[in-house]
Amino acid sequence: METLERMRNIGISAHIDSGKTTLTERMLFYCKKIHAIHEVRGKDGVGATMDSMELERERGITIASAATNVTWKDYNINVIDTPGHVDFTIEVERALRVLDGAILVLCSVGGVQSQSITVDRQLKRYHVPRLAFINKCDRTGADPYRVFRQLKEKLGHNAVLMQLPIGLEGKFEGVVDLVKMKALYFQGDNGESVVEEEIPSHLAEEAAARREELLDAASMFCDELMEAIMEETVTEALIYKAVRKGTLARELTPVFLGSAYRNKGVQPLLDAVLDYLPNPAEVENIALDLDTNEAKVVLKADPAAPLVALAFKLEEGQYGQLTYIRIYQGSLRKGDEVYNTRSRKKIKIGRLIRMHSDSMEDIQGAPAGDIVALFGVDCTSGDTFVRPGLNYSMTSMYVPNTVISLSLKAADKKSEDNMSKALNRFTKEDPTFRTYVDPESNETIIQGMGELHLDVYVERMRREYKATVETGQPQVAYRETISSRVDFDYTHKKQTGGSGQYARVAGYIEPLEEGEYEFVNEVKGGSIPTEYIPSCDKGFHSALVKGLLIGFPVTGVKVVVNDGTSHSVDSSDMAFQLAAVGAFKEVYRKAGPKILEPIMRVTVEAPTEFQGNIFGSINQRRGVIISAQEEVSFFSVDAEVPLSEMFGYSTVLRSLTQGKAEFSMEFLKYGRVPVSITEELVEAFSKTRKN
Amino acid sequence: MVKSELIRRSPLRIFEKSIHGGLGKGNIGVIASRKGVGKTACLVHIATDKLLQDKQVLHVSFSARVDHIITWYEDIFREISRKRNLESAVEVHDELVKKRIIMNFNQKGMGTEHILQSLRAMIKDGHFAADCVIFDGYDIDIATSEDIKAIGDFARETNLEIWFSLSLKGEEPLFDDRGLPRVVLPYLDAIAVLVTLRFIEGYVHLQVVKDRDTVDVRDMNLRLDPKTLLIAEIEE
Repeated sequence: METLERMRNIGISAHIDSGKTTLTERMLFYCKKIHAIHEVRGKDGVGATMDSMELERERGITIASAATNVTWKDYNINVIDTPGHVDFTIEVERALRVLDGAILVLCSVGGVQSQSITVDRQLKRYHVPRLAFINKCDRTGADPYRVFRQLKEKLGHNAVLMQLPIGLEGKFEGVVDLVKMKALYFQGDNGESVVEEEIPSHLAEEAAARREELLDAASMFCDELMEAIMEETVTEALIYKAVRKGTLARELTPVFLGSAYRNKGVQPLLDAVLDYLPNPAEVENIALDLDTNEAKVVLKADPAAPLVALAFKLEEGQYGQLTYIRIYQGSLRKGDEVYNTRSRKKIKIGRLIRMHSDSMEDIQGAPAGDIVALFGVDCTSGDTFVRPGLNYSMTSMYVPNTVISLSLKAADKKSEDNMSKALNRFTKEDPTFRTYVDPESNETIIQGMGELHLDVYVERMRREYKATVETGQPQVAYRETISSRVDFDYTHKKQTGGSGQYARVAGYIEPLEEGEYEFVNEVKGGSIPTEYIPSCDKGFHSALVKGLLIGFPVTGVKVVVNDGTSHSVDSSDMAFQLAAVGAFKEVYRKAGPKILEPIMRVTVEAPTEFQGNIFGSINQRRGVIISAQEEVSFFSVDAEVPLSEMFGYSTVLRSLTQGKAEFSMEFLKYGRVPVSITEELVEAFSKTRKN
Repeated sequence: MVKSELIRRSPLRIFEKSIHGGLGKGNIGVIASRKGVGKTACLVHIATDKLLQDKQVLHVSFSARVDHIITWYEDIFREISRKRNLESAVEVHDELVKKRIIMNFNQKGMGTEHILQSLRAMIKDGHFAADCVIFDGYDIDIATSEDIKAIGDFARETNLEIWFSLSLKGEEPLFDDRGLPRVVLPYLDAIAVLVTLRFIEGYVHLQVVKDRDTVDVRDMNLRLDPKTLLIAEIEE
């Protein structure tokens, strides 16, 4: 258990451009794992170590999550670099799943912005304890106190300052540690030596006041500290203990300051990871037992218990497929035989690896709590590995529906081969990315969570797989549904010599409040023989795949079959399936069919001077403004906007606001399409049918 | 119950009757009480009643977070629809949401003129034809008489009703001998209707204190349901 206490699995979650990659890089540097610091958009062309993909290097952002192991003061820290953009939600959520704690990085100039809010919401959903790091204190306009207030007001954190800045902007020199009551300076070429000095006299009063606040907040979690405060016998150890307790309970967010770029404040943050974030044994993890109807089982972070591990990330490396796994229970050793509960296959562990971004180290084994990588294992992201005999699966993760699709066409035969290789890989890596071949147009269709999501995969196909592909227009994933109950009574009859086909089905269809499809059998007296009931179900289900209005899947339908007729010779499985399809087609238009479209939750943030433009732009896009929030010179607006109206919005927004606004977007729900647009869609669909 | 019936039988009809058919466009109305008595619930009930009548409402608030206000609306709507057993409540709710915008401000760093400018931007550029504006939590202590005048001008210029909540703080007596809160005395002319919430025999009663040119305390025969905080008729 001693190793567990000295282990941390942490993620660094942030808004793009808040300096997450630079911070990660510095953390790795101070842990002496890498020997030179590269900038994210560095001149030396090497790029920061965590950005493993060329594309990411070019864009200066981190898209895929890679796990990196570092050692700090004899503690093992696995750093999981989470993607910053909301379009890659599933990647973020997968990474969050395996974290025990996180650092929420905020920019001291930009503050809490829309994506910080999304990222914070994700951390909350997975109950991840967190520290906040207010970065870029050296920048012009840096105001960590404002960001601190926003943490409380906008994100609702019970935030408490653990440090004070010494100077700001160009004069940012270091921080005051409010626990030790010392000033910390970072000296040497790369800030590697941390020097403790007395607090500068002009900050003494402020530091004393903020320490009071810190003690007040921390004492809520520890009676011992409360008593010590009364008796004036407060020790550093007591403060650490209290803050740690509050943080683990996710009721307190300690706030640290610095500038990763200027090499200031990173080592104290590493200390904070050890001091305040949980070790794997302090986090409860739950698996589902597939043998007992998915009953929940609490896992024990005990290396001696039977193995349970989750594959959370696949990566195509230079030498084949790498599978990142988190071990929740038991241990994994080289040569072990493990069982994949999804594919129901046994595999043997050939090579076990500890990753440092682009370099790797072969290891013999790893205990519960650790994050390691496997080589050459065939599996899908999200698979559970267990010791043979167990049949557990880690809780199924929240996988959202795809909302947008794009058709692809390969330029030549070679590209086509490469494209299919790439698609095969991507669908394994990312469950929100799907692909199929449209049987009518014979085109390859990819589906995903947003424009940027698909763009990145198309780019990766070009770069990593050398597949030249053309893309069609992005297509919104509409749905059809019905709005009223209607009876059906349909006979399928065919007599073409020999045995014919005969089946009659009767009943009704009606809207289903929740869920996509429900089939109810109310046939009495065997008017439809029992063996043909599943045929009816199958027939109706197949009819829902393509609606008759615009050819999109029909959802929210309840089918009740209550009568029918069969023929002893001419009835068959096929006859009843066809009768069901016929019945559905016959009455569908009478059931008030409606088109549904994906509605996105959109948040736009900009300086106040642009609010008229932005309100207008949302209004033009059939958006419904839910709320607007205004600070002194900045405002944000929350709106619900149909996805079909959001194509190219980033470009529009840029020109409306001289590039000073930003927005984020997430799928919210399916909503009804207005009548005028329904007519357009139906007309467009009937035209394509005629051609 | 269908929506039209629910509107007809709303206690807000009694509320309107006791102030001569309602506040009316271009006017300012105030609901005043000490903190925590139920002003926000009253305002949200008034707003919800407007929304049910297909009117558009801009809710201006000065609180820390928008989701608290949304929760108020959700709670009040749920209570109303449950109490009256409203038909197709989900559809009605979805329609209401489209007619309501919440604008949240940090008043401390922001002048009243700035706030009004943002409201104008929403109404004009956002094409949101508001019928009613709710000002909840506006701090009258830091407002000047110019601010109040500007809000009055805004109400007339945009031809909409504005309802204010007014939080009374400090030492007794809060009211003068006519029943008017002392803090409003400098702005009395700008206020068309003033309603106070007063504790009487364990219940919060709604009383009209000012209605246009008339100043005297009249019980509206309405009180707040202590459980749901809805405005309710006092049954004999």
